[in-house]
Amino acid sequence: MIALLIANSLALAALLIMLASGLALIYGLRDVINFGHGAIYMLGAYLGYTVALVGGFWLALVVVPVLLAVLGIAFEYLALRPLQSRSHIEVALVTLGLGIILGQIIIFFYGGAARSVDAPQILSGSITVLNLSYPVYRIFLIVMGLGSCALLALWLGFTPSGLYVRAVSQDPSVARMMGINADRLSLLVTSLSAAFAGVAGVLAGPYLSIDPGMDVTMIVNCLIIVVIGGTGSIGGAIVAALLFGLVQVAGSVFLPSIAALVPYILLMVVLLIAPRGIGRGRVLN
Amino acid sequence: MNNRTTTTTAAGARPAAIGSFGGPSLRLPLTLGFVAIVFVAGAVAPSYFAGDFMLRLANEGLLLGMLALSVAFLMNQAGLVALGAASIYGGAGLLFAIAMSEWNMTPTGALCASFLIIVVYATVLGALIVRTNPLAFMMLTLAAGEMISHGVMLEGLRDYTGGADGLVVNFKGSIFGMEAADFASPARFWLVAWVGAWLAGLALWAVGRSRLGAILRAVRENEERMRFSGFDTYLPRLIAYVLVNIVAAIAGLLHVLNAGFVSPESLGLSISTNTLVAALMGGIAGSVGPIVGGLIFSFAQDEFGARGLTQLLTGIVIVVFIVVFPRGVVGGLWSAARLRARVGRRETS
Repeated sequence: MIALLIANSLALAALLIMLASGLALIYGLRDVINFGHGAIYMLGAYLGYTVALVGGFWLALVVVPVLLAVLGIAFEYLALRPLQSRSHIEVALVTLGLGIILGQIIIFFYGGAARSVDAPQILSGSITVLNLSYPVYRIFLIVMGLGSCALLALWLGFTPSGLYVRAVSQDPSVARMMGINADRLSLLVTSLSAAFAGVAGVLAGPYLSIDPGMDVTMIVNCLIIVVIGGTGSIGGAIVAALLFGLVQVAGSVFLPSIAALVPYILLMVVLLIAPRGIGRGRVLN
Repeated sequence: MNNRTTTTTAAGARPAAIGSFGGPSLRLPLTLGFVAIVFVAGAVAPSYFAGDFMLRLANEGLLLGMLALSVAFLMNQAGLVALGAASIYGGAGLLFAIAMSEWNMTPTGALCASFLIIVVYATVLGALIVRTNPLAFMMLTLAAGEMISHGVMLEGLRDYTGGADGLVVNFKGSIFGMEAADFASPARFWLVAWVGAWLAGLALWAVGRSRLGAILRAVRENEERMRFSGFDTYLPRLIAYVLVNIVAAIAGLLHVLNAGFVSPESLGLSISTNTLVAALMGGIAGSVGPIVGGLIFSFAQDEFGARGLTQLLTGIVIVVFIVVFPRGVVGGLWSAARLRARVGRRETS
């Protein structure tokens, strides 16, 4: 029972980690919360649905992140760079508007009906571990989520570009004085964050349903995670995503009548205890 | 037209010259007279010239404008963007409906009760979230708004809130001398909404010019500096947050009195973004802009809503107005008029 609960919460957290860490990365570099991230994730899910129909799930898992990385590059060049001199709140509002536009375009093409994607043959069904039967797809999800999390940590911790990203996140002006090109890094980070959202969208297909409201649900969850994790802290976001997954799943098991409210209660409790979140995020005015 | 604008604004901008010849400045009495004429004309004229359908749209626009006023005030004075305005607006209406149907209160009692509950909620929420930075504030208001709109749809509260069906309000008796039929009549309700919008606009305008407004703007510019200088930066923002939510709650209560129905959509995110759009379109500085923005939005929604384009347009308007016209329609016209007056004065002198 407990093992099942933890496994389910890990599966949900895997998706959330990919999205929330993407948000935290952009925030670290640009001080902008991308309110359109949910729409990018939704685009990933719908594109994944289409590509999976044509060429199968595995192809979708490769193609969609690449397509979305290109979208991320466009987002960087067309929105983030021209608006660099504007206040962060204004840029955040622009991303909100862009997200609404993207969401509406998706609904225009795909309609309002919910879609579902079948998991590939090898991932369907379930396996039995220690007398517990568990769906293979969710295990795959957990592996993907934790794997991408580990990759991200390796990149940030052990490569020069990762070091630069950390440096800019910690102190943008000093990092620039030391000769780090924040614009080029931001291009990398924005496309990476969009690609992660694409992976999450494709992975969400067989796990959750693909429907027009998924962008708002996901962005709200991610914002809660980013706030709980300490705005801009990637480590904090990962811990918060795990906590969020656990609370969400436990809420739907133990408190089914108010499960929908449990994440918000968590948010309020964390805000009461630690208004700056649990991670060591950069505090901004 | 061209000439007249130039001369009147130029004369108004040179009070000293007039004052030196003919006693005290005429600027204030002229402005007051003009405002009074607009107020009376706006209150009376639409009921004669516009049909019921137009009036209904205009009423919706005024209420949205009041809501936009609350969002714009917080944006302009405190630099805080609230994305959860709909939860206050719809929440006040829903509470009123519940107080009438479930708690068997009189209409006036229900009105007061729902208003008080919303104010208490806004105070508690504000106490939690105004101490964060503006970006976190934006995220938190979005989350709190979604919390309320999900909470309303909970299965366990369905008997209270009506779930996805919403609640119908039929009250007997009267509120402030008006009966249900009066609120439902577009022409009579126009008067109520018009006066309400004016009161809200004047109140927020006065607060913006008061000491509180000055402190809010200073905190917006640099919170740390204000704290160093010995100012409390928390309480002013909390007061401002509660104040704008009072305006939002009044708009929501007026809406439910007019519509006689409250739907769960009125608490949803799309109403919040519509509000933001109305504020941005009209211009967030001042009280006139958001209300004009609300009216524009209402008529534009009638034009494009049937084709399912409202949400798409909402997104486009947010982007275009922030990037290209950050002052909005009213702010843009205002600064254009001032510029022209300055040019005109330079030519005459």
